[in-house]
Amino acid sequence: MNTIQVNNLHFSYTPGSSVLNGIDLELDQQTTAIVGQNGAGKSTFVKLLKGLLYPTKGEILFKGKNTRDYTAASLAKDIGLVFQNPNDQIFKNNVISEVMFGPLNIGQDDQEARHNAISALKKVQLDDKLDTNPYDLSLSERKMISIASILAMNTNIVIFDEPTMGQDFAGKEKLKEIIWDLRDQGKLIICILHDMDFAAEVFERTIVFNQGNVLADGPSREVFKQKNILQQAHLEQPSITQIANELGLDGNYLTDEELIQALKEKMTS
Amino acid sequence: MSIIQVEGLKYKYPDTDQLALDDISFEVKQGEFIGLIGRNTAGKSTLCFALSGLVPHFFNGGYGGKVFVNGLEVRQHEVGDIAAHVGLVFENPFSQMTASKYTVFEEIAFGLENMGVERNEMITRMDESLDLLDITSIKDKHPFDLSGGQMQRVAIASVIAMKPKILILDEPTSQLDPQGSEEVFKVVENLTKEGITIIMAEHKIDKLAEYADKVALIDHGKLIDFDTPAKVFSRDDLPDYGITAPTATRIGKALGIKDSKTDLFPVTIKAISREIGDKL
Amino acid sequence: MSTMTLYVDKKSFIHHVAPLTKLLYVMVSIAITYIIPKLEFVLFVTLTSLLILAIGKVFRKILPILALSILLIISIIIVQGFFHPENQTVLYSIGFITFYKEGLTFAALLTLRVLNMIMSFGILILTTKHDELVEDLIKKGMSPKIGYVLLSVLQLIPQMRATMGKITDAQRSRGMETEGNLLVRVKAFFPLIVPVVLNSLHNTRERAIALEVRGFNTKMKKTFLNLSKEYQYTKTIQSILWAILIVTIAWRILS
Ligand SMILES: Nc1ncnc2c1ncn2[C@@H]1O[C@H](COP(=O)(O)OP(=O)(O)OP(=O)(O)O)[C@@H](O)[C@H]1O
Ligand SMILES: Nc1ncnc2c1ncn2[C@@H]1O[C@H](COP(=O)(O)OP(=O)(O)O)[C@@H](O)[C@H]1O
Ligand SMILES: [Mg+2]
Ligand SMILES: [Mg+2]
Repeated sequence: MNTIQVNNLHFSYTPGSSVLNGIDLELDQQTTAIVGQNGAGKSTFVKLLKGLLYPTKGEILFKGKNTRDYTAASLAKDIGLVFQNPNDQIFKNNVISEVMFGPLNIGQDDQEARHNAISALKKVQLDDKLDTNPYDLSLSERKMISIASILAMNTNIVIFDEPTMGQDFAGKEKLKEIIWDLRDQGKLIICILHDMDFAAEVFERTIVFNQGNVLADGPSREVFKQKNILQQAHLEQPSITQIANELGLDGNYLTDEELIQALKEKMTS
Repeated sequence: MSIIQVEGLKYKYPDTDQLALDDISFEVKQGEFIGLIGRNTAGKSTLCFALSGLVPHFFNGGYGGKVFVNGLEVRQHEVGDIAAHVGLVFENPFSQMTASKYTVFEEIAFGLENMGVERNEMITRMDESLDLLDITSIKDKHPFDLSGGQMQRVAIASVIAMKPKILILDEPTSQLDPQGSEEVFKVVENLTKEGITIIMAEHKIDKLAEYADKVALIDHGKLIDFDTPAKVFSRDDLPDYGITAPTATRIGKALGIKDSKTDLFPVTIKAISREIGDKL
Repeated sequence: MSTMTLYVDKKSFIHHVAPLTKLLYVMVSIAITYIIPKLEFVLFVTLTSLLILAIGKVFRKILPILALSILLIISIIIVQGFFHPENQTVLYSIGFITFYKEGLTFAALLTLRVLNMIMSFGILILTTKHDELVEDLIKKGMSPKIGYVLLSVLQLIPQMRATMGKITDAQRSRGMETEGNLLVRVKAFFPLIVPVVLNSLHNTRERAIALEVRGFNTKMKKTFLNLSKEYQYTKTIQSILWAILIVTIAWRILS
């Protein structure tokens, strides 16, 4: 099972200023969105899950074992993390070797790694850029390269730090497909997001971080109902929900279809 | 007189064969808020570079046409001199940090020091922009010890504090939390009231629909449309350019509801709510 | 405070000496080791620099650089020991290798000069905020462009270090072992070199752009956020340093 158990997790970069103050969570099969204010500790949290940082107090258990006992490298077979800033992740000078780097390290042979890399690049529609230097691509393309590099490793847990950042409509559609596809393969997906519409539409579960604590956690539909809590965490309701509220509709609307359906019924009656 | 004039601008990055900007012409009046939209790789960032002089001074390659900002022809002036008139917020805030300052506060001061702003005035302006971007609490941190969103706020604050006549923002809210994004749009709208001209590349269509005076739609380096949000967003061929209409417009179209004020489809949540409210 | 600087934030008397005074110390202490090429004297100057480093609580920070320069020093000793043109007095031989007194004395002199140079620069760089030093120089009339070049040079090592940290994170998060015993770490080091260099080149260009658009190269007269700090004893220390310089020159001319 791909379960991550987080117990009383504390973390600080510099002694005295705490970033995470005792987080208890169980992350399991559901697709999970993490939302929250800038500086709430979301990226820090996923770096801890990945073993890039170690807790100052508390523990993270993966398959029942404490991540503290593993190096980040040995966790790489199981947990993939797409960094927030693609420039922090990309270091090779052509696209294909960048995407093959992970697969080669976790024991795939050259042919298999190349195959996985190309199929991951196809998913983000950059398979025509194999020999390009990533520095000659725009930021949104680099973000997609960094996503492909993790997909190619075919890990059971995939964590995305703000994948929609800088993506256009088509890019977000691609991401939706990728996420749904991973879910159908039974993988655990965790995704940090600032795009509430995307979170509400794509994810089963939403966790709200606020100043190093979990402020709300539950089915996305329930979480996005709670206007006050969202407000407190510097978030907003999805735009569809906002329109429904503005119109004084009761009930809970997250997608275009739901709202249009309801309004059609209302207007004909 | 227009504060920005672009005439037949063409540009190609070195070692590429496609034009990143292809015969673009438009004019912007002082105090206008222009939204720049288009799919990824449409050429938004490149246009931002061209307006601030980085194209052609830092990025070589093929260049044609003319760009005037506040009366200066960009090609004839150094980036440093253009910087006195045009402020640019980068797409990636990390790239904007000077890496030679030890605190957020000093980082923001950098541009003001270069402009020779007198020290008291400098501090007043800096406190003001720290407050606008809600980053007063991190002003003593090292600029590299910040979260992505915090760094983006610092990048915006450091340019706003310079009070350039023309402010160009390349996807400035990409890493901001929802309320932070809203704040940035509000701050920028307020700047237009002081006569500052805004060019903002954005994917947040709903917000542009609410705040921008005009929208420039770019695709494959070409300027497809340059008009009010209501006009541009009611185009039926938007999806061909990789753009979805604002939420309000999508709902309006699905229900056949128009904005009685413009006789076009509504573009803001307010407008659609008003129109539907009238019908219910 | 981040690791993005070589400056060591400690409290010591040396930290409270004005940046330009320390710069003057660097120049004087290097100059006099050339003006008076006497082994005992140069040794004395070198020990003084060492003492100042210790007072500034940064002696340990200079050790890695000194260690790196060992290679240089050994080669000085060998080359001068063998081949110095004035070699006459045989000191001792190991097999076919013969060391001469003249050569070794000269090598010792050179070594001490190098050590002193490193340490006196160390005093300046490790106990002074770099931006303050550069600002002071600009206020004295140095061109801001040169100021920037100076800052970038000072930033080079910490910047490489930061880039290295980032790339290491990128690598270990994708399965490359970088932690563990020496062998693992040595093996991890080589794949780092090329990306770190490429990344640094890219960053340098990016920073240059960042500075430009913030008006770094305008012809306007700059102002400064940080007020010039008041330092004690500046006049006294600087006068002493000038006096030392003059005395050594006089000594050289007269003797
Ligand atoms: N390297 C670092 N050193 C010191 N403090 C840091 C460092 N990185 C982040 N922080 C601080 O830790 C807190 C949490 O940062 P984190 O990056 O986890 O936020 P986040 O929730 O991901 O925010 P964002 O939405 O802006 O990406 C912030 O207050 C930030 O300033
Ligand atoms: N530094 C660069 N070198 C070469 N080509 C580039 C560079 N930056 C962007 N491009 C190319 O120029 C085109 C426009 O990119 P950009 O202006 O970044 O688009 P947008 O900002 O609209 O996403 C794209 O085809 C992109 O790949
Ligand atoms: Mg983050
Ligand atoms: Mg762009």
